[in-house]
Formats: sequence, structure tokens, C-alpha cells
Amino acid sequence: MAYTTFNRNINDQLKEPMFFGHAVNVSRYDQQKYPIFEKLIEKQLSFFWRPEEIDVSKDRIDFQQLPEHEKHIFLSNLKYQTLLDSVQGRSPNMALLPIVSIPELETWIETWAFSETIHSRSYTHIVRNISAEPHKVFDDIMLNEKILDRAQDVTRYYDALIDGINLYQRCGEGVHNINGKTETITLRELKKRLYLCVMSVNVLEAIRFYVSFACSFAFAERELMEGNAKIIRLIARDEALHLTGTQHILNIMASGDDDPEMAEIARECEDEAYAIFMLAAEQEKDWAAYLFKDGSMIGLNKDILCQYVEYITNSRMQAVGLKPRFATTQNPIPWINTWLVSDNVQVAPQESEISSYLVGQIDNEVDSDEFGDFDL
Amino acid sequence: MPDVIINAQAPLPYGSGQRNLLEFLEQHQQPVNFHCREGFCGACRCKLLSGEVRYLQEPLAFVRRGEFLPCCSVPLSTISIEIPK
Repeated sequence: MAYTTFNRNINDQLKEPMFFGHAVNVSRYDQQKYPIFEKLIEKQLSFFWRPEEIDVSKDRIDFQQLPEHEKHIFLSNLKYQTLLDSVQGRSPNMALLPIVSIPELETWIETWAFSETIHSRSYTHIVRNISAEPHKVFDDIMLNEKILDRAQDVTRYYDALIDGINLYQRCGEGVHNINGKTETITLRELKKRLYLCVMSVNVLEAIRFYVSFACSFAFAERELMEGNAKIIRLIARDEALHLTGTQHILNIMASGDDDPEMAEIARECEDEAYAIFMLAAEQEKDWAAYLFKDGSMIGLNKDILCQYVEYITNSRMQAVGLKPRFATTQNPIPWINTWLVSDNVQVAPQESEISSYLVGQIDNEVDSDEFGDFDL
Repeated sequence: MPDVIINAQAPLPYGSGQRNLLEFLEQHQQPVNFHCREGFCGACRCKLLSGEVRYLQEPLAFVRRGEFLPCCSVPLSTISIEIPK
């Protein structure tokens, strides 16, 4: 059961389940059980960007002129985003790579986590620019109780899964005596932890991140902190792809075609899935209260952000086959959508400068007319 | 010209002025959610009750049977759709 980096068993990768089959040996994409994951990889790679490409120098002046309560909103929001991406930059790899069984999904997980590391680096880029003492901002993340409270629920499903995998891969199923403590693990229990973990990651990416995006874009709607908004736009575009990835994983699990036991677990865990969504929504509302404790800003206040939490929670629940639980049906901040449009289609009209670009694109179309004025 | 029936209301003709069904719905002041407008986020997911749509690009977002993404599709026949509340 121990993990091996190159499984020597000759297996048919097309017959492996997404997780808990044989460990992956050859990273091959000539045959794919779920081609969607390779498409997600390609899309993610086409999105590649670096924080240094975005000029945030004007933000420094904007930030200095913000009233204190808006500085609190901006910095707290940034700290929370930093926490979320710190977790997401490592956890999909740590939790999912030891148990994944098909190469295209394995590579998607690695591509996904890599893009989160770019997000983490971009927060440092932003903070370095707006503050002469960036260490104070980052040091506070580990001291701020409001943030630490939330870290607990963001990470507990990952940690429970990783802990179970360690025990299972070392000792196998059964009751084990580990350093004088009795621990029990079954494959079914692990699958349950996996399902709940992916559900909680989906909530993180589909709700928690979007609440923070709303705050970032609310500044930019007033033509403030626009460099920051430009970076957050690129992050939001990546996150939309990541949450499509987790929605696919969840829906494949629930369908049962991949692993019939996983479909049973999805049904069994329905109440817990609802609970994960509802708890996240409650926490995001508490967070809204903390953000706006000293005053609101133009375009966004505690009540509007809470309504947005309800609206986005409803919509994300439906995406994974759950029923909406809140009465809110209208998006209270419709302007956010303009910021979430993918760059290739339309540039937000309120944006200060166009940030749509593709790296390494070459036009290979050459028409014979191009040689019209050639003389030999 | 195919018609589009939205939430069981009177059919509207789908003209050639729109690039996709999302633009069409917006032109008729229908409240559809959207984010990416490129088929990868799935925010604009609607129910396709009858008829057929053609995708201009294959969506990456998860689309259940009986659902479609208006941001990257056009109607092939008269369609009846439901916009989620």
C-alpha cells in the first residue's frame, strides 16, 4: 500500500479510478480516461502570468490616501487572500498526489497548485509596493485571531485526509497501535475524507475567494488600487478554472461510473456537504462584519457583502448538485461580473489600461499574398 | 430563424446580431449570471428544456445533461430554456 514514485505493476490506466487505484507510473497523455483534465491543464498554461508584469506603483499613492477604516478593509482582505493561497499552493499536492491514479488528473493537480504559488508571490508584490514594512502585514497573519479562526476550517479536511493517508499507506486497513495510541483506518473512511476534502476545497475556491474578490474590485470600481485589481483579475480567472476542476472531480465521484463506492459516499455525505457550505457562508458573513467594523466604503458594506455571500453560495451549491439554501436570488453587486470576464473576450471598460496579452504566441498563418512584392 | 422560449414566456426570434445566446439573453434584459463568458467557469449555466444548441467552443465547465452554457452556444433549432433563479 506504500506510495511508490514509479509503480512497477503493468496496469491499464484507463481502468484506474481517479483516486485510490494503483499509483501512476508513466505520465502519458496519448490515452486519457478523463480528457477534461488535460483541457484544464492547457487552459491553465495559456493563462500563465507573472506578478512583476503588472505595474502596481500607482497603488502606493492611492493606499496612502485611503482613510484608516478602508486601509483596514484592504489589508485584512489581502491577508485573508494570502492565507487561502498559502494553503492552496501546497495542499492539493500534499493531499491528492499520494492517492491519485490517473496521469492527466495527477498533472492537473500539479498545474493547479503551481498556479496558486504564483498568486502567493503576487501578494508579496502588492504588499512590498504599498508598505515600507511588508513584514508587519505578513507577521500579523499568524497573530490575527479572525484569520486564524478561518484557517482552522479551511485546513481541517486536508489535514484529516493527509493523516489518514499516512496511516493507510504505512500500515494498511485495520486497527493499529501507533506509539501507544490505537488508530483505526479503512479505505472507505479515507474515501469519505477525500470527498469532504474536495467539497471543502470547492467551497474555498468558489465562495471564500469570491468574497475577497468583491472587496478588491470594490476599490477599483472607484478607480483606487487598480494595479491590485488587475492582479486579482488574473487570480480570479485562474480560480474560475480551479473550481471548474473541483466541480468535475465531485461530479465524477457522485456519478459512480468511476468508483461506485464513491457515489455511495457522496450520497451518505450529503448532509455534511450542506453543512460545509452553510458554515463557510456563516464565516464569510462574520468576516464581512470584521472588515466593515470601523465603517463601510462606497459601493460595499457589511449587508451588501453578506447578500453576495448568500447569492454566490446558492449558485455554487447548485453547481455541485445541491439545492440552494438562501432566499437571495439577485446578485447585489452585478458590477463584479465585468471584472470576472476572461481577458480574451472583453476588457472591463472601467479598467485603467488593457492587460490582455498572451505570452509566446506566434501567428503561423502566412498567405501567399504576403510575398506579392518579392522580386527574385 | 429559430425562436428562444425563456421561462415558458412568449417566443423571441434569435437574430443574427448576437454572437451567442448569452448576448441574446442580455439584449432581452434577462437576468443571467455570468463570469468568464468563455465556457470555463460555468456561471451562466441554464436548463435546456427542448431543442438543440451548437457550441462555438466546447465548454470546459461541468455541464449536466439537460443544461447548457449560453456564453459559448447558439441555437440550432427553436429552444425552450429556463434561467435558474
